[in-house]
Amino acid sequence: MMRTEFQSNTLQPTEPQSIGVRPMIDSESVLSLQGVTLTATLGAQPVSALRDLNFSLGRARVLGVVGESGAGKSMLARLISGLLPPGFDVTSGTMRFVGRDLLAMPTRQRRELLGRQIAFIPQEPLTALNPLWTIADTFNEHLTRLGVPASQRFDTALHLLESVQLATPAQMLRRYPHQLSGGQCQRVLIAMAFASEPALLIADEPTTALDVVTQTRVMRMLAEQQRQHATAVVLITHDLRLAAHVCDDVAVMYAGDMVEYGPARDVLDRPRHPYTRALKYATPDLTGPRRRLPVLKQQMPGLSALADLPGCRFAPRCPSADAACGHALQHRAAPNGHRVSCSAACEHGADTAELQAALAPPTPVDDARPVAELREASLTYYTRSGLFGQHKTGFDAVKPFSLKVYPGEFVGIVGESGSGKTSVARLLMGIEQPTEGRVLIAGADVTHGTAKQVRRAREQVQIIFQDPQSALNPRRSVERLLTQALEAAGLPAVDAAERRRRALALQSDVGLPADCVTRFPTQLSGGQKQRVNIGRALCAAPALIVADEIVSGLDVSVQAQILNLLLELGREHQIALLLISHDLSVVRYLCSRVLVMRRGEVVEQGPTEEVFSNPQHPYTRTLIEAVPSDDAGIPWPPVAAGEARAA
Amino acid sequence: MVDKSSSLPTLVSTASAPAGALARPAAKRGRRLRSVNLWLGAAIVLGVVLCAIFAPWLAPHDPLDQDLLHMLSPPAWMAGGDIAFPLGTDSLGRDVLSRLLYGSRIALTVAVVAALGAGVFGSLLAIVAGYFGGWVDRTISYLVDLWMSFPPVVLSLVLMVSLGVGIENVILSIVLVDWTRFCRVVRAEVMVVRQRDYVLAAQLMNFSHLRIMLREILPAALPLMITLFSLEMGVAITVEALLSFIGLSVPANVTAWGVMIADARISMHESMSGLLFPVLAIVITVLGCNLLGDGLRVALDPRMRTKGN
Amino acid sequence: MLRLIVTVLSRRLVSAIPTLLMLSLVVFVVLRLIPADPLAMMLPPNATPADAAVLRHQLGFDRPIITQFGIWLLNALHGDLGISIGFQQPVTALIGSTLPATLELCLSALLVSLLISVPGGVLAYAVTDRRGEFPVGLTVVLMQSVPSFLWALLLIAVLGVYLPILPFAGRVGDGVPMPHLTGFLLIDFLLKGEWGDWLGAVRHLVLPSLALAFGFAPLVIRVLRSSLLDQRGEAYVAVARLRGVSESRILWRHMLKNAALPALTMIGVQFGFLLGGALLVEMIFSFPGVGNLMIQAVRNNDLVLIQGIAIVFCVLMLLINAIVDTLYVILNPRLRKPS
Repeated sequence: MMRTEFQSNTLQPTEPQSIGVRPMIDSESVLSLQGVTLTATLGAQPVSALRDLNFSLGRARVLGVVGESGAGKSMLARLISGLLPPGFDVTSGTMRFVGRDLLAMPTRQRRELLGRQIAFIPQEPLTALNPLWTIADTFNEHLTRLGVPASQRFDTALHLLESVQLATPAQMLRRYPHQLSGGQCQRVLIAMAFASEPALLIADEPTTALDVVTQTRVMRMLAEQQRQHATAVVLITHDLRLAAHVCDDVAVMYAGDMVEYGPARDVLDRPRHPYTRALKYATPDLTGPRRRLPVLKQQMPGLSALADLPGCRFAPRCPSADAACGHALQHRAAPNGHRVSCSAACEHGADTAELQAALAPPTPVDDARPVAELREASLTYYTRSGLFGQHKTGFDAVKPFSLKVYPGEFVGIVGESGSGKTSVARLLMGIEQPTEGRVLIAGADVTHGTAKQVRRAREQVQIIFQDPQSALNPRRSVERLLTQALEAAGLPAVDAAERRRRALALQSDVGLPADCVTRFPTQLSGGQKQRVNIGRALCAAPALIVADEIVSGLDVSVQAQILNLLLELGREHQIALLLISHDLSVVRYLCSRVLVMRRGEVVEQGPTEEVFSNPQHPYTRTLIEAVPSDDAGIPWPPVAAGEARAA
Repeated sequence: MVDKSSSLPTLVSTASAPAGALARPAAKRGRRLRSVNLWLGAAIVLGVVLCAIFAPWLAPHDPLDQDLLHMLSPPAWMAGGDIAFPLGTDSLGRDVLSRLLYGSRIALTVAVVAALGAGVFGSLLAIVAGYFGGWVDRTISYLVDLWMSFPPVVLSLVLMVSLGVGIENVILSIVLVDWTRFCRVVRAEVMVVRQRDYVLAAQLMNFSHLRIMLREILPAALPLMITLFSLEMGVAITVEALLSFIGLSVPANVTAWGVMIADARISMHESMSGLLFPVLAIVITVLGCNLLGDGLRVALDPRMRTKGN
Repeated sequence: MLRLIVTVLSRRLVSAIPTLLMLSLVVFVVLRLIPADPLAMMLPPNATPADAAVLRHQLGFDRPIITQFGIWLLNALHGDLGISIGFQQPVTALIGSTLPATLELCLSALLVSLLISVPGGVLAYAVTDRRGEFPVGLTVVLMQSVPSFLWALLLIAVLGVYLPILPFAGRVGDGVPMPHLTGFLLIDFLLKGEWGDWLGAVRHLVLPSLALAFGFAPLVIRVLRSSLLDQRGEAYVAVARLRGVSESRILWRHMLKNAALPALTMIGVQFGFLLGGALLVEMIFSFPGVGNLMIQAVRNNDLVLIQGIAIVFCVLMLLINAIVDTLYVILNPRLRKPS
């Protein structure tokens, strides 16, 4: 049935197409869920992975599903596609797609819908295509499934690639996925998704894996395609602001519940649920007054913990929870179709007045002697090619530049991947030797230094790695990890009692719960692991800590905890911090000074407030514009005049 | 990109095939069967070890005793069999059961010592090569590649020719051939661990190389080494059987399974059982080592557990 | 594409030459360490030490090792690998007359192996987490625990002696004349149009090939299963499923090709296993191949012949590795230079 409906359309995206033979009344929804509960029977007790979901998505409307990891937003996508993991079943409610009952539909029929009337866009574009097939091969398979006759497939594919603004589409078809960039791959996937003029599109974090500038371009193009084909879209994301700017309606998910639902601007401007509010304010602003990030204790409960939470699942963390919250979930309605699952919601409307001003980012304690310095340091990587390795090509990771970090100050380096910011960190740590220029630690020149010099320098500078999984030896207990620096050569031996004392002191310094010292890394959450990382760096009492993308893998609410912790530590211990990040708002929150890097060189630097409020370099301006703002009135993605086609 | 420590699977990650009604208990079934491998393998190996240790007490006869009145007699449960010789006799009237039991001593001695030797030597070089990288790694890898350009059997034969017959030489030749297999596999694992940030962190804390290799790298590679050891035992038993089949392994007065097979082959037409029993002995022992190795691989390495889950 | 193949192949072969030299040196030195005296077999029982000294000088065993190696190498480059002590014939001729048999055997064993292991690997993968996993898994491990020489004996016992269906000695039946064209019987008999003899040659190949194949197939099955399991978790598989591609199409068109790459590498690495197994299998089946020759050479302490055959085996291994590398580059677009 659906196939005939498709075959009656020709692919000419210049005219809006009607979907299907049956005329669609505008009020009829493309996707509607009523009371849907998804139960997981993994352990002894069954738990509701998704609980009592209700929403309706109209034709050509965009719904944003916002939540942190574990909230159930991806499970929602799997529910719609019908590809649930073993042990998960829908135990109540109905789900309709264009009036047809999806749950009652036989599996075979349901699979027929996939790729045709219901399309998907995945999160990691580079791995989403078969690496051994050319783009043309993949298109061929897809278009065959859609019933496009062999003679027309090549032209159709060309046409589709052009519609997503890919330059030289004929060449692109002959390429393999590893020859394309992330943004190009995503455009290809978008082209394939819209090839069948789907009624519904599910986009699972489509731009999360892309860098910030590409992100805006791809989102813009996605919005354009959506308008052209009048497709209803469910956009899954962890970014509330992004959803508020791009979507018509927003649903906020927490631990399987839909805690708030309403028109996008409304939810962003006037969040009613305490969690939504926390989510909104947990990301630091790029402009405006610097306010303290509210901290939510603990973290989102995992599947196994849900059995113990019969009522509101957010209650254990909620600042305004009362006794009734734990027993039953309450729902309220607000104007404009805004729904919220909270009893206290209506009283706490917009309350920015509650939020305090944040601690100021630490500034230098001592202006005279920098704790770390790079003097005209550069780093070039050489690769050899040719039959006997005679051709040497150089890649300038870092072009010559100078940097001074003073005691007690927090400095940030921002840039996208490939900008060279990580290489700067490696130079300071001594992991790489500069090709030219000098590196000085605490006044001593350690460029190509002796082992002893290097060792002494390393006592002054410590690093916190990005991936807490990889940074902690899974076979060591937390106590031994925290105090690892005490085992270093050349230090007097420390007995067990002293070691335990130091470990406990560090543990409370970084805000870990009391019983953590005896645990192992596999038993800790991501945020806790990162705290252990920070504690380990602190143990050596360094003068400078280099933090390389330390919060980028964490959920927003956990990120807030770590950021506040760093500010407090900076104030207490007067340690200098060099923060490397692609996230401008994090840098703005923490650092008094910032450097913007692009392709190995510093394009702009200065005090953070100045650089971000009045950027001089066009690249800095692009970076700032790429961040969706708090004010739903400012359009995002930013309108770009004469944007070049993605080559 | 986002914290996955407590999350439900994303849409695209670990996508399993759509679930049928059977699939739900399957995950549990998968786990249970993998531990069956471990216990079954361990039981078999333990059984063979016990046979080897207690052979003098378990064997009804001396393995070299020739009873010329009972040559090529069938097993006790078949017509013409004698209960005094439960599994029959070979062409010189020697009791098959006793010879099997004493043969297990040779098999196990070779298995354990050779596997240990190859494992220690190969892993040592692998850790050094993987940790230091650079020219150390290149040299060792070149050596390994060079060595592995020989078919293993050919190399063993060449070595046996030059070393001469004898059990010690068999062990030595197995060690000299198979260390490369350990080296290559363990080196790959070491290189993965080497990239982990916690090794870098330890280096930045000025720990000595030796300390890092012992404290950070070795414990991570140990599960793999144990698995390989178990599998190598199976290989060693096979090689020894092969060599004693050709006649290059043990002197004539020692009992080995391969020798039994070579003898029984000549009289295959008359007595099939004399051939089948030592073959079964080898197969079951090697099976035990393989099952044990597989079971250990799953039990010791948490990553492997996700396969087929 | 053709240019790519030629480039990769020639590069691998060229870099194999120093390896070959090193290997010949290693074998040479190792064999000179022999405790037994190879001359003992060539001398009559009543020989005096003086006679032995003369023979030793004649064969050049009294020169320093490096010189001996140099002489050997020079001769080898001219195609002269010496005279076999045991057979009193040129080594090159001996190898030349037996090598085709071994190659024919190994190639047919490889073919049978693939015919068994590709469906076997897919089956082993398909039953993961299902009811059939334990029996299939156990069967594979069981197969793996039987080395090829034991397979040979078992096959002879069952299909040769107990049920005398297939022959188990030699390449051709008694009294069949050997065509001396290429040395590959399957080709020669075809060229001569002798169908009966051709069939006979095939029948003689069955048991030895099966023995070798049964020893090799489980390894391929295991690596195929494990790489299919790896592919199962890959993003492109899930995305294809979300596009509505059917499960069987995903398995056969998408996953298998990706899974074939690690399997191919493993086949290259383990090919030595196959060659090594051929030694004993040939001996057991009285198959007149190079492996059988090697066993006899070892029994006779025939150093010259051992040296020659060992080098030939090395050449074969290096050739196989070069071919596997080339195939890998052809199949894996990521290894080709960007256009």
